[in-house]
Amino acid sequence: MWTIAAITFKEAYRRRILPVTVLAAVLYLGLLSFAVRMLSRQFELTMDPFKEVVFSQIFTMGLYFGSFIVSFLAVFAAVGTVSSEIENGTMLAVVPRPIRRWKIVLGKFVGFGIMLVVYAAGLFLALTVVIERIGGVDLPSQGAALVLFCFQPVILLAVTLCGTTFLSTMANGVVALALYAVAVVGGMIEQIGYLVQSTSLQITGIITSLIMPVDAIYRKTVYVLMQSQIQNPLHAVMEMGPFGAHAEPSVWMLVYAGLYTAGALGLAMYLFSRRDI
Amino acid sequence: MNKVIETDNLTKKYPAGVGCSEICLSVNEGQIFGFLGPNGAGKSTFVKILVSLLKPTSGAAQVLGRPLGDLSARRRIGFLPEQFRYQEWLTGEELLSFHASLCGLGRHAGRPAVARALEMVGLRGRERGKIRTYSKGMQQRIGMACAILADPDLVFLDEPTSALDPIGRREVREIILQLKQAGKTVFLNSHLLSEVEMVCDEVAVIKAGRIVAAGSLAQLLGGQIEVEIQAEGLTPELEAGLNGIAPLFRVEGNRLRVRLADREQIPRMVALITAHGGRIYSLVPRQRSLEDLFVELIERREVSQGVDDRRHHL
Repeated sequence: MWTIAAITFKEAYRRRILPVTVLAAVLYLGLLSFAVRMLSRQFELTMDPFKEVVFSQIFTMGLYFGSFIVSFLAVFAAVGTVSSEIENGTMLAVVPRPIRRWKIVLGKFVGFGIMLVVYAAGLFLALTVVIERIGGVDLPSQGAALVLFCFQPVILLAVTLCGTTFLSTMANGVVALALYAVAVVGGMIEQIGYLVQSTSLQITGIITSLIMPVDAIYRKTVYVLMQSQIQNPLHAVMEMGPFGAHAEPSVWMLVYAGLYTAGALGLAMYLFSRRDI
Repeated sequence: MNKVIETDNLTKKYPAGVGCSEICLSVNEGQIFGFLGPNGAGKSTFVKILVSLLKPTSGAAQVLGRPLGDLSARRRIGFLPEQFRYQEWLTGEELLSFHASLCGLGRHAGRPAVARALEMVGLRGRERGKIRTYSKGMQQRIGMACAILADPDLVFLDEPTSALDPIGRREVREIILQLKQAGKTVFLNSHLLSEVEMVCDEVAVIKAGRIVAAGSLAQLLGGQIEVEIQAEGLTPELEAGLNGIAPLFRVEGNRLRVRLADREQIPRMVALITAHGGRIYSLVPRQRSLEDLFVELIERREVSQGVDDRRHHL
């Protein structure tokens, strides 16, 4: 299993998936740093009381689009990891080896999973450094938020890995991105639902979270971050906007997301063990 | 002799048709076994079942005395697929190290195994190059190295010489013979009948998913013999007489081509011709080649020869 995990990680590096995504993250952080520096100078001049609110919003916006990058990395890294290896014949030499097929899938999950968690954690911590050091705003302890942020791509990875065991690479890419889009749009609809007090919109958001819980985990991440600033009189303002979280996704949603991920991974292992190659 | 492969009515059906049907074969240890058939006959399907890439629809099989898919048996199997492609972003050495690790060879046993395999396929000195820079022939060789890497007792080679030039083919033949000398069993899928004829002890021919002939080369080719005779004075009475000992013969002017059941029929035929007043100027016996047999079997509509009993003990 570790042999497959190691070769999976090596593949992501050698095929330049990881270096290119790191470069994209550096560009993204550079742009964000520039904006934070400009705003910081502005606030120094005006001593604006909304400084913390604005930087909190920028931080959540940074996380929101950062989660886009890690989610795309999860999908594009794993989209053809089984299907394309079957299509091009690589798998023909691997499967007959004395290794259980489910271990091949688990190895790929672990290899990509470690890469995604390290990448997501790096991005999260870099965003924190940008806001704290350049913006001059103290963000409270974010351990729980960091863990939740790293969990998002792992969910997408499990689903994409499941798809690649029985769908073609192209079909799997379409399905995985469509599911991600459902989650993102559903999350926005839910936020609007809270804003306009529409129960049906809120329920729509919850249903989409059940279909793909990635956005719910993002909202939970933001809520955890904002809760740590509850003593701030402008806390309610911080929760607003498309990147905020008006209501905390329950702990059951976390449990559901965990089971969802384990279920997708288990299904991937089962399907690959049964299929003809 | 130990049976290395034993299949019992092994069948694979696809939604579009049958891959292979009711295959009953047994292969002895230490043999080079040739598995022949035209494209789409079911050769690769059969091998893929034996190496656990496909699951059979029905039937059973044992490989190295263990049921299909057994991990301890898979440790002792090497496989070179036909439509293979290796991770082109790896170097040859990295690829072999990866496969050594998959075979459970630790670093200690893995390194010498990699070096030995590279040496055997003639890629020593090229192991640091990326596989994407390898020629087709070199890729075939690295595939061969992968197959023999873990010192397997049974090696499946699916068209191992298809991308090689004549020198490369000869080298692969030498590797196959070396494996045999080391007591290994080689199961060879190939279109190249002359090569099969050169190295194989036993062969089976598959057509439309079914075995149509199986046995040792001596059994399959040694029985019948074709004789070309130059003679004069061939009369219709003589031809009628020849029908009794050689139902298959052809007369072209003063040349007569006769297929006899065995070489002991030659003196009988000569006596018959001279008894009818024929004058023989030359007589050339010609052994049938595997290609002759193959073409005959594949072109024949009805399966009859050698398959009275569906089990083929080889």
